[in-house]
Amino acid sequence: MTNSADLPLDDDDQAVLDWLAEVYALLDPPPADLDERVLFAIALDGVDAEVARLSEQLTVGSGARGSERTSTITFDADSRAVMITVTDRADGLVRIDGWLAPAAALRVELRLPEPAQPRIVIANAAGRFTFDGVSRGLAQLLVHPAADDAGVRVVTPAFSL
Amino acid sequence: MTVVTLGSGKSGTGHAATDRAARVGACLVRATNGETAALSEIVRELNPLLWRVARGEGLTAEESADVVQTTWLELLRRLHEIRSPQALTSWLVTTTRREAWRVRELSRRQAPDGAAQLESAPDPDPGPSERLLADERDQVLWRHVQRLPERCRKLLHVVAHVARPDYAVVAEALGMPVGSIGPTRGRCLAKLREMLQADPGWSGL
Repeated sequence: MTNSADLPLDDDDQAVLDWLAEVYALLDPPPADLDERVLFAIALDGVDAEVARLSEQLTVGSGARGSERTSTITFDADSRAVMITVTDRADGLVRIDGWLAPAAALRVELRLPEPAQPRIVIANAAGRFTFDGVSRGLAQLLVHPAADDAGVRVVTPAFSL
Repeated sequence: MTVVTLGSGKSGTGHAATDRAARVGACLVRATNGETAALSEIVRELNPLLWRVARGEGLTAEESADVVQTTWLELLRRLHEIRSPQALTSWLVTTTRREAWRVRELSRRQAPDGAAQLESAPDPDPGPSERLLADERDQVLWRHVQRLPERCRKLLHVVAHVARPDYAVVAEALGMPVGSIGPTRGRCLAKLREMLQADPGWSGL
C-alpha cells in the first residue's frame, strides 16, 4: 500500500524539519538524563515484569541548614502498591523506608547503577522494609513474587535519590 | 516553486529505510531474547519523539519523562508481540499517548479545581519564546513557525522528530488521518518556506 504520507520529502523539506527539531530541542529540551534513566530502568535481566507507575511524589523540607528533607513516592501496579519515604542522612547518604500494599513478606530488591550491586531485603509481614545508607543517584525497586506464587515481579521506573 | 537554501540542519536521510528496518529488527530479536541492552540504540533514537508526544498531551517535562520511562518498561513484556520496526514505533507512540492521558487524568483528579483547569489546558506548543534562542536564524524560523495555523504547528512539532520511514505509522498512532498527513505536511512546509523567503531579516543561507 502506498499513501501520500510515504511520498518522499524533498531535501529542503527534510532540512527544515531537521532544523526545526533542533530548535524544539533548544526551546524545550527533554531532561538531560532521559536516555540514562530509561536505559537504566530497562536493563533488567529478563523481560517479565509488571510495571508499577509513579502515582504520587511529595517532597517536604529543603535539606538546607539541617532541616530534614524527605520525599514520599508512591508506585501503583495492578497487583500491588509500593510506597517509599526517602530521608536524607547527615553523611549524604539516604535511608529508604517502604511498605507494600497489600502487605506481604516478599523479597524487595533495590537496583542501583553499576558497578553497585543490587541490595535485597525481605519485607516483614506488615509489608515494611528498609534500605539504609544508600548512595544518591538513580535507583529502581523490584518486588519479587513468593516462591510458590506464579506471579511476576513488580518493577518501578527509575527514580532519583 | 521557490527554493530556499538552508544553511543549518542535516540534509538528506543518510540511511536507507531498509537498513534502518534491518537494524531495528535485529535489536528487537535480541531484546526479545532477554538482552534488553540491545534496545539502547532504539531508545536513544525514539526518546525525543516519545517525550514530545507526551508534552503534546499537556504534561510537564518531568511527567513526560516518567511517561516515556513507563512506556519502555511496558514494552519489555510486549516485545514478543511486536513483529516489525514500524509496529514498534507505532506501539511506542500509542502507549506513550495513552500513558500521558492516564497521568493527565490523575493530576486533574488530584489538583484543586482552579489548578486543574490550568494544568489540563492543552499545550500544543509547550515552551517559551524565541528569547531563548541565541541564533538569529533560529529566531526567524521560530517566529514564522508560530505564525502557522495551529494544525501545522502541532503536526510539525511531532513530525520533526520522526524518522522518514515512520511518518505513516506515527500519523496513525496520533490519530491523524494517514491520507492527509502527507499533503498537510507538504502544505505546512511550503508555507513556512514561503514566509522565510519573504522575510527581509532572513539571510537566505
